Amino acid sequence: MNEPVEKLTENQPRRLPRWVVGLAFFILLAFLVLIAWGLRRAQQGPIVIGQKVPYFTLHTFEGEQIKTADLLGKVVVLNFWASWCKPCEQEAADLQRAYEFYAPSGQVVFLGVDWVDTEPEALGYLDQFNITYPNGPDLRTKISQIFRTTGVPETYFIDPEGNLAYVKKGPFLSINEIMAVIDPLIP
Amino acid sequence: MIGNIGFGILIITLVTAIFGIGAALYGGLKNSPRWVESARLAMLLTFPLLSLVAVALIILLVTGQYQYEFVYGVTSNSMPLYLKITALWGGQAGSLVFWSWLLSAFVSAVTLRKWERDQEFLPWVIVVALVTVAFFLVMIVFFENPFNRFWFSPSGQMAAMFQPAGGVLINPPDGNGLNPLLRHPGMVIHPPMLYLGFVSFVVPYAFGIAALVTGRTDDRWIRVTRRWTLVAWLFLSLGLVLGSRWAYDVLGWGGYWAWDPVEIAAFMPWLSGTAFLHSVMIQEKRGLFKRWNMILIIITYSLVIFGTFLTRSGVLSSVHAFAQSAIGPLFFGFIGISFIISLALLLHRWNSLRSEGHMTSLLSRESLFLLNNLLFICILAICFWGVIYPLISELLTGEKVTFGPIWYERNTGPLFAGLLFLMGVAPLSAWGHSTIKTLGRALWKPAAFSLVILVAVFALGVRNWAALLGFWLVGFTISITLYEYGRGVWARHRRTDENLLVSFWNLAARYRRRYGGYIIHLGVVLMALGIIGIELFQVETQGTLRRGETLTLSNYSIRYDSLAEFDTPDGKNVARAVVTVSKNGRPMGELYPRRDYYYESQQPMTIPGVRSTMEDDLYVLLVDWKPISADGATFKVYHNPLVNWLWVGGFIFILGTMVAAWPDKDPQPARRKVNRRAVAASKA
Repeated sequence: MNEPVEKLTENQPRRLPRWVVGLAFFILLAFLVLIAWGLRRAQQGPIVIGQKVPYFTLHTFEGEQIKTADLLGKVVVLNFWASWCKPCEQEAADLQRAYEFYAPSGQVVFLGVDWVDTEPEALGYLDQFNITYPNGPDLRTKISQIFRTTGVPETYFIDPEGNLAYVKKGPFLSINEIMAVIDPLIP
Repeated sequence: MIGNIGFGILIITLVTAIFGIGAALYGGLKNSPRWVESARLAMLLTFPLLSLVAVALIILLVTGQYQYEFVYGVTSNSMPLYLKITALWGGQAGSLVFWSWLLSAFVSAVTLRKWERDQEFLPWVIVVALVTVAFFLVMIVFFENPFNRFWFSPSGQMAAMFQPAGGVLINPPDGNGLNPLLRHPGMVIHPPMLYLGFVSFVVPYAFGIAALVTGRTDDRWIRVTRRWTLVAWLFLSLGLVLGSRWAYDVLGWGGYWAWDPVEIAAFMPWLSGTAFLHSVMIQEKRGLFKRWNMILIIITYSLVIFGTFLTRSGVLSSVHAFAQSAIGPLFFGFIGISFIISLALLLHRWNSLRSEGHMTSLLSRESLFLLNNLLFICILAICFWGVIYPLISELLTGEKVTFGPIWYERNTGPLFAGLLFLMGVAPLSAWGHSTIKTLGRALWKPAAFSLVILVAVFALGVRNWAALLGFWLVGFTISITLYEYGRGVWARHRRTDENLLVSFWNLAARYRRRYGGYIIHLGVVLMALGIIGIELFQVETQGTLRRGETLTLSNYSIRYDSLAEFDTPDGKNVARAVVTVSKNGRPMGELYPRRDYYYESQQPMTIPGVRSTMEDDLYVLLVDWKPISADGATFKVYHNPLVNWLWVGGFIFILGTMVAAWPDKDPQPARRKVNRRAVAASKA
C-alpha cells in the first residue's frame, strides 16, 4: 500500500487495434441476433386450440412408425413425458387405465412421447407403470417443437378432424379428468 | 377510482423520469448545475410517486376489486391478508410495478448522498438510473398495465384501462387465486430479495458508466459504490438462498437447486458480482485491473437485465417463466441499446483505464485474487453456455438440446473446489509480494490440522474420493479462517488488555470489511458442507405401505399409521398421513406428509414431512393413497445428510455480508488518502 505507485509517464496512445474493436462488436451483435431469433420463435407461440395440427411421425420404442396422417377420424391423446419427471409418475397409471378403457372402441389413440430422456431409463419407466400404448422418443425434439411444449407432463388432445382440441399442462389428477376431455370429442 | 388515480400517478412518474433524463443530459453537456439539480429532484421524486402507485395497487388487491384483471388473476376471497398483499409480485404486471418501485427506492436514495466530491458523476448517474426507471414504466404503462379492467363490449369481453365504446364493466365475485406454489413464506420474501439484489446493481453500474462518460477513471467510482455493491450482493445472495430453501420445502423433490435456466439467470450476476467484489479490492490497494473491474460491472448489470428478460419474455422455458407477453421485443431493444452503448463507452476509454502498476509476484494476494476471478468467470461462462446453448443448437441444427444438472455439476464442480481452496489460501498471502516461504509459514499449522480432519473423516468410513476431497477442503478453509480470526483476536487481546470476547467484537467492528469477509467465507464453507452432504450422500426409496407396515432407509424406518382426508376453510382438500419415524429402532416421533389440493385453481401441492437435525434430514413425501379405505399409501423417502449446514451456512453468510456492508460511523482515514489521490489524478 505504501510503495509508490508506478506511473506510466510516457503517454503513448496505445489505442486498441481496429480488429479487436470490430470483433467485440461482432460478438455482441451475433449474440443479439441469436436472442432476437429466440424471441421471434417464442413470440410465434404454440398451436392454438381449434387449429390444424401439422402431421408428424412417431418412431416407437418397438420400431414401429406411427403417422398422425393415418389417424384422422380418431381422437388422438398425445402425452409428453420423461422418466426423470416426477409429476409424470402421478398420471402414468391413470393414462394407462384410460387407454385400456377406450381400447375396445378403437376410437381413441394414445401416444406417448418421451422427451429429452435416455432409452434404458424410459423403458424402465414404461415397465414400472405397465404402460402398453405406443411410446417413442421425441427424436430431434421435432414433436415437442410443433407444440412448443414448455415442459413435461403435457397432454394434447387432437379431435378426429385433426385439430387441436384441448391442452393440459401438468399431470392429470384422475382418470375422470382424462375421460371428461375425451368423451365429448368422440364422434 | 383508485385504479384511475394509480394509473394517473404512473403516467406522472413516467413524465417526471423523462424530464429528469432530459434535464440531466442538458445539464451534464452544458455544465449547468441548475439543470442537474432539477434532474436530481426529479429522480428523488420517483420513489414517493411509485410508492403511491404501489399502495393503490395493494388497496385494490386487499379489497378484492376483481374487476381488475390483475387482481382477478392473483387473489381470491379465501386468501389471508398477507398473501393478498404479497400477491403484488405474484403476476407479471404487479411484479413489474413492484420492481420499479424498489428500483426507484434505490435511485432516490442515491440522490441523497453527499455529492460534493464527485459532482461530475451526478448527471450521468441520473441518466443511467432514470433511463432504467423510465424503461420499466413504459413497459407497465403500455404493455402490462395492472390497472386494466374487464369490460363487456359489443366486440366481446376484453381487458382495458379505459371504457371501450359501449362497454360495461364486469365485476366477478371472486378471483382466480394465487398459484399455490407461491403460497409459502419463502416465496413471500424470495422474489423481493432477488428483485432488490437485481435493482440495486443499477447503482454501481450507473457510477461505472458515469466514470466512463466523464473520463474520471481513477478508483473514485469504485470507492463510492463499494457499499452499494455489497448491499446488492447481499440481497441477491439472500434471494438465492431463500429460493433454494423454498424449493426444498415446497417443490417436493428433495433438492434445493435444479440448474433451471432461470435459477442460473439469477446466479450469473451473483457470480460476476462476487468476482467484482474481490477484484475492486485490488484496484483500491494496488491500482490494477481497472479495465477488468469496469468490464465486470457492465457484465453484472447486463446479466441482471438479461436474466429479467429471459424470465419474462418466454425465450426459455422454465418453471419460473412468466406467461408469454408482449414486452419481449421492447425489452430486447433496451438490452441491445444498453449493451452497445456500454461496450462503445468501454472501448472509448480503454486507454485511460490502464493499470497503475504491475503484478509483482505469482503468490501475492492480487495474483490469487486474479485466479479467483478467473474461476468465477469460468463458472459464469459454463452457466452462460448452458443457458443459451438450446437457442444455438435450435438455430444451427433445428434440434433443441438442453443440458441437465449433471452437465453443470460435472463442469463446475472442480472449479468450485478450486474456489474453496483459494478461499483458504488467499487471505493469508500478502499484497504485492508473497513467496512459497512466507505463505507456507502462515499456512502450515491450519493445513496440518485439516489433515487431521481428513484422517478422522476417513476413519469414520467415508471412501468416496470426491467427498474426502470436499471434506478436506472444508476443513482446510475453516481451520485457516478461524486461525486467522483467532490470531487477530489474540493480538488485539494482548495489545489492548480487552478480554477475548470484547476483542473479537471490536476487531470485527473496526475492520468490518476484512472480518465480515471472513465470516462470509465461513458461511460459504458451511454451505459447501451441506452441498457435499446432499449431493454425494443423498439416498432415496419409495414404497407402498399398508397400515402398520414399515419402510427402511439408511438407519431410519418409517411406519405408516393412518391417513385422513378433509377440507379446510381456505378452500383446499388435505390428505394428511401420519407416519412414525424410528432411528436404529428407537422411535423419534411422528411426521405428517400431506397433499393439499386447491379447489379454485385445481392444483395439487405436495408438502413433505421433514425431520431435521444438524446431522441429517429425513424427508417423507406422500405420493399416492387409496382414497376410500386409506389402507395403503405410497411414500417417497429421502435421507439428506448434512443438508442443514446449507441453511446454517447461508445464515452466517448473510450475517457476514451485513457486517461488511454496515455503514461506518466516522469517516475512515483511508478516505482522505483517496481524495488526495483523486485530486492528483484529476490534475494530471
